[in-house]
Amino acid sequence: MTDRSFEAIVPVGKAPVLILLITVASGLFLLFNPVSSEKATLRFWTFARNHAIPYQKATPSFEAKHPGTNLDVQLVHGEAVTSRLRAAFWADLDVPDLVEVEISRAGSFFRGPPEEVGFIDLLPLLRASGYYDRIVKTRFAPYADRGKIYGLPHDVHPVMLAYRRDLFEAAGVDVTQIETWEDFIRVGRELTRVGERYMIELSDNHSGHYEMFLFQRDGGYFDAEGRLTMDNEVALETLLFFIPLIAGPDRIASDLGSGRVFTQAIEQGFFLSFVCPDWRSKVAETDIPRMHGKMALMPLPAVEPGGRRTSTWGGTMLGITKACPDPELAWQVAEHMYFDKAELAVRFRETNILPPLKDAWEHPAFDEERAYWSGQPLGRLYADLADEVPPQYASPLVETVKSKMAGVVSACAVYYRDNGEEGFADFAAKRLGDAADEVRRYMRRNPY
Amino acid sequence: MRPLFFRLQHRWAPYLFISPFVVLFLTFMLYPLVKSILLSFYITNGPKSQIFVGLENFRFLFGDPAFHQAVWNTCVYASASIFLQLPLSLGLALLLRGSGVRGRNFFRFGFFSPHLLGQVFVAVLFSVIFIPKFGLLNRVLHFLFGVAVDTKWLGNPDLVMPALVLTSLWMYVGFNMIYFLAALEGVDASLYEAAQVDGAGSFKQFLHVTLPGIRGVAVFVAILSTIGSFQLFELPYVMLNNTAGPDNAGLTVVMYLYQNGFVSGDLGYASAIGWTLTFAVLIISLLQMQISGTWKTEG
Repeated sequence: MTDRSFEAIVPVGKAPVLILLITVASGLFLLFNPVSSEKATLRFWTFARNHAIPYQKATPSFEAKHPGTNLDVQLVHGEAVTSRLRAAFWADLDVPDLVEVEISRAGSFFRGPPEEVGFIDLLPLLRASGYYDRIVKTRFAPYADRGKIYGLPHDVHPVMLAYRRDLFEAAGVDVTQIETWEDFIRVGRELTRVGERYMIELSDNHSGHYEMFLFQRDGGYFDAEGRLTMDNEVALETLLFFIPLIAGPDRIASDLGSGRVFTQAIEQGFFLSFVCPDWRSKVAETDIPRMHGKMALMPLPAVEPGGRRTSTWGGTMLGITKACPDPELAWQVAEHMYFDKAELAVRFRETNILPPLKDAWEHPAFDEERAYWSGQPLGRLYADLADEVPPQYASPLVETVKSKMAGVVSACAVYYRDNGEEGFADFAAKRLGDAADEVRRYMRRNPY
Repeated sequence: MRPLFFRLQHRWAPYLFISPFVVLFLTFMLYPLVKSILLSFYITNGPKSQIFVGLENFRFLFGDPAFHQAVWNTCVYASASIFLQLPLSLGLALLLRGSGVRGRNFFRFGFFSPHLLGQVFVAVLFSVIFIPKFGLLNRVLHFLFGVAVDTKWLGNPDLVMPALVLTSLWMYVGFNMIYFLAALEGVDASLYEAAQVDGAGSFKQFLHVTLPGIRGVAVFVAILSTIGSFQLFELPYVMLNNTAGPDNAGLTVVMYLYQNGFVSGDLGYASAIGWTLTFAVLIISLLQMQISGTWKTEG
């Protein structure tokens, strides 16, 4: 008698056959119903929400000027922008046409032979259009490498000092009398109560605040020729000045971290002031609304009387990728988003970020008084300092140096807390030298 | 005679069904493994630019202070995993094994449940707990012992590792407890009775009956913890805000590998780090097995 059971015909059994059928069915379904993708003419990645929103608002006017063009502005997480973009460059995969990259990550894209850098050189376009001379010059430095400019600067990011005007006034502090850091520290020592209230928020475990002091003194991690300068005289001088502000019994600074903790600390008067690049002034307005009318800005105290009253912190570049099929059109997007004065005025009102195009500052938006900042004309205050903003030079090793420097700051703070001035200068010089030697080892190893 | 269709499917069906695994394994495991061995002999800028340097990556690695720091940090963490986590897990298992313990199942689940959360979630949770001034831990420590409320657990190089260890204890003690509970169930009850007859107290019973009885599982858990510790990445990466922490206090070997491979683009150096780590873990695991007598034959 013939066995007609399923297993007799298909010995592997029902379950594997069912799995196979489901696999084939779903494969066929996907084959005939592919995920629809809207084809944009140009794709534009940015990592910052406060950048993406104005760009998305400005997109219809760009598309109206260029009929048939479809611009897709996408907000992508900062880590993803860097890692996915780098991987896509390496593997010749799909990349966006325009990308914004954060300043400390930018240099890492310039590693390797120039022909393998994934961005086009914008210098010829900048010169031909005349924008090169209308932009704050120092802002090209972080995005320039081996005679080429791979990124348009999105910002200037001058630094001012934001302070609790109400508390300063209650303490009888006249900020017009604070011209140098020496003046600031003197007032700070009177107002600081260690563990309860600090004159200023400065970190003892990352390099960001130290850098700001370093740049103010015309120092930097690299010079214009790409030589490492992180352990030169200016750097050591800055370190010896900076550490006693954040460690030891006479410290006037502390930090708690970023985000909600920081804003709470400002509200509670734990910090009386903080270093405030233009972008951070918007963070304050948004995240600490209860300080409305109680905050004010002043130029950074100078190192010496008559010295530079600002520094810089942060930045973003816009690059056009080599894979872009229409670089001309991409350049027009860049012009629309970065150089259109009306758009820049709108963007400034939304972000407080000063654009690097100097002509744009003539717009009335930059003279508007801001109630949050006790009626100060925020835009004009930052614009007046913009030409003094020091340069930061690019290197593929910027992130490595920042990480090493964070270690130096941290170790020096611990040493100073435990030992005070005793042997501190030697310790700081040694740590700085060791960190620089490590970076030089990496540099010597780089064959490109 | 069976039809041809029947014979063909009988013969080829197993291959067909294991083929997805084999294809995925070859593509995403074996090929990258072989490729990474080759890459470790190159200095690279992504996969396109490669310069053959022989053993230079390994020579550079052994003189690299950042790598030394990463190895040290990882070893400290691994030691804490073995010498703190495992005894605590065993202690919990001993406490919760008796049927007389009230709410035994509730506590077992309670201690195990942190492991159900992902490392990233736990890292986010603990980075909030460790916040200076406003964080729960500082508030409690200040209330109980007068510890400064602005103690920076994740900002002070001396406190970063204790903070990481504390977090991992919360996450893994209950998980390892499950292994020990299973092992304790397997110890022959008659051995305890015999030991009692011989006059052995609780401690001696633990030393001479329990420990030898769970040795196999203990070695397994120790090796698993060691391997897990040497792969530490997400916890410090998220807790320290994508950095290696103050003075590289939270830099682990895998984090250093990631920085070199995916931030600096030096896949060759990252491969050298990866293979060095593999051999280190292998040697440590073999040593653990040797020391614990896993290979001894019963005589």
